Amino acid sequence: MQDSATVIETRNLTKRFKDVLAVDALSMKVRKGEIYGFLGPNGAGKSTTIKMIMGLFYPTSGQAFINGKLVDGGGVELRKDIGFLPERISFYDNLTPVQTLSFFCELRGADKSVIPSLLKDVGLEDAANRKVGTFSKGMTQLLGVAQAMIGNPSIYVLDEPMGGLDARWVKIVRDKLRTLNEQGATIVFSSHILSEVQALCHRVAIIDKGRLVVEDTIENIGMRLHLRPRLWVRSPDVNNKMPAWIREVEGVEDVTVKDDTMLITCDAALRLKVLTSMQEKGLAIQDFRTVEPSLEEAFVKLLSDKEES
Amino acid sequence: MPLNPRSVYTIAKKEFSDNARNKWIASLIAIFLILTIASSFMAGKGKVGEMDLTVGVLLSLSSMLVPIIAIMLGYATISGEAESGALSVVLTCPVRRVEVLLGKFLGLGSVICFSVLVGFGSSGLIIAATTGHAEWGGYAAFMLLTMLLGLLYLSLSICFSSLLKRRVTSLAAGGVIFFWGMIIGVIVMGLFMATGGDLDEFLSGDMSSIPDWFWFEVFLSPQDGNSAAAMLAFGTTEFLGFEVELPPWINLGTLALAQVLWTLIPLALACLWFLRRDV
Repeated sequence: MQDSATVIETRNLTKRFKDVLAVDALSMKVRKGEIYGFLGPNGAGKSTTIKMIMGLFYPTSGQAFINGKLVDGGGVELRKDIGFLPERISFYDNLTPVQTLSFFCELRGADKSVIPSLLKDVGLEDAANRKVGTFSKGMTQLLGVAQAMIGNPSIYVLDEPMGGLDARWVKIVRDKLRTLNEQGATIVFSSHILSEVQALCHRVAIIDKGRLVVEDTIENIGMRLHLRPRLWVRSPDVNNKMPAWIREVEGVEDVTVKDDTMLITCDAALRLKVLTSMQEKGLAIQDFRTVEPSLEEAFVKLLSDKEES
Repeated sequence: MPLNPRSVYTIAKKEFSDNARNKWIASLIAIFLILTIASSFMAGKGKVGEMDLTVGVLLSLSSMLVPIIAIMLGYATISGEAESGALSVVLTCPVRRVEVLLGKFLGLGSVICFSVLVGFGSSGLIIAATTGHAEWGGYAAFMLLTMLLGLLYLSLSICFSSLLKRRVTSLAAGGVIFFWGMIIGVIVMGLFMATGGDLDEFLSGDMSSIPDWFWFEVFLSPQDGNSAAAMLAFGTTEFLGFEVELPPWINLGTLALAQVLWTLIPLALACLWFLRRDV
């Protein structure tokens, strides 16, 4: 892809806090129009990286670029087109959500008439006149998402947007991100919860201990790690015990058993044959499907591979 | 890099309306009003005293209270909001850090100035109406100096709030700032004694042996400098209850200039530190 399509880029971005190297020569590229997942265990350096991209932290060395322009303390123009949600969001306790959004509309030079629809978008319309100080953590977070949407920016940088939200709210945020992306926005969001990222992202970067482990699509990461789709089979006959004959079945390379299900690694072309063989052996098959390699597996494998090397 | 007055105004307006909403401004006005009337009764020995006498009593209270109020308003404005995360949302809007800092200073400063104007102003009207006598020139100078004192301590507390990482350390710094103005007088007095000053002479009202450098204290302690300026505004030159002859380089002009420098230099440092810090 051409460089003109790069929306956010970091080059050897590094941040050192006294004796801790929080981010270590991190180089990554976010392309226009994608949802980019920024993944890593807690303390991996995700928030520090995001803060450097947003110009809140000064890098020890290296640079961050937004739309090809260097991020520095004075980049007012750069920030016009970015919606941001920090990891620990906090607003002013004695303002209502309407007053809060109104303040940020003024700072962004945006039209205030969008406030009611922003609140509705995140499901806070019933709390519009309550003080933010009485909000739960989740509600404050949702207000943060609404705040990020002021002025309809084309880039979103969201630090753990679904952290601390319950399932219903996670869905609201996830749907919102998808809609914004469909409307053309580029979205970068960090998470340590892999399933969130897998369901949404076009590409992911995985970082650990401040270093980039991998940056690619989920499929490519899976292929590179030789993670393969597997056959998932449910049978009342299994019950935590692997049938002794299963490994003898032609095409079966690996089997794991949990409760009444088996996960079988086998060549895609042989799946039907494997199922038929199992039935012939008298195994009652209740249900089956293929399971794509999960990011979770990739994550665990990548981090353990890195540790070994 | 020109500043955007619109952003400064938005931040300032928010700070002011925040303090109006949480009743800080109303409380401050009430405190100033009650304090002035009480001082006036003390000065008038049971009746409403005249303005110069009232200010004489009031100064000992206001020169402590106003710095405390200013420090309370300012100490957490950067470090506290950086710690809570509120500041990071503001700073990722298309605003400059200098605009945010100036907006905060002007917004909180107007809280102080407005409360002083209404609180002391209304009590001034009461005194003038009751005594039938007013020295509005001196009283207006006193109000302006009180505002300046508030801005001065606000600037100092914001300065440390910009430098320090955490809310609690900037509160501690606020304490140090406050006591600096109180103890520097004692230190200078100690130096005076150590260099052969005579306490008895001093206490008997004989100020002739006091060296000129002793008076430099009013430039080092913002509180004492401010009180001295207020007294001079009323044409009084009293020290510990005695008339004193001040060196010519201590006058309303030099004292006010010192107060302005005590305000502007920390504010410039605050900008510098705020521009450089991680939020």
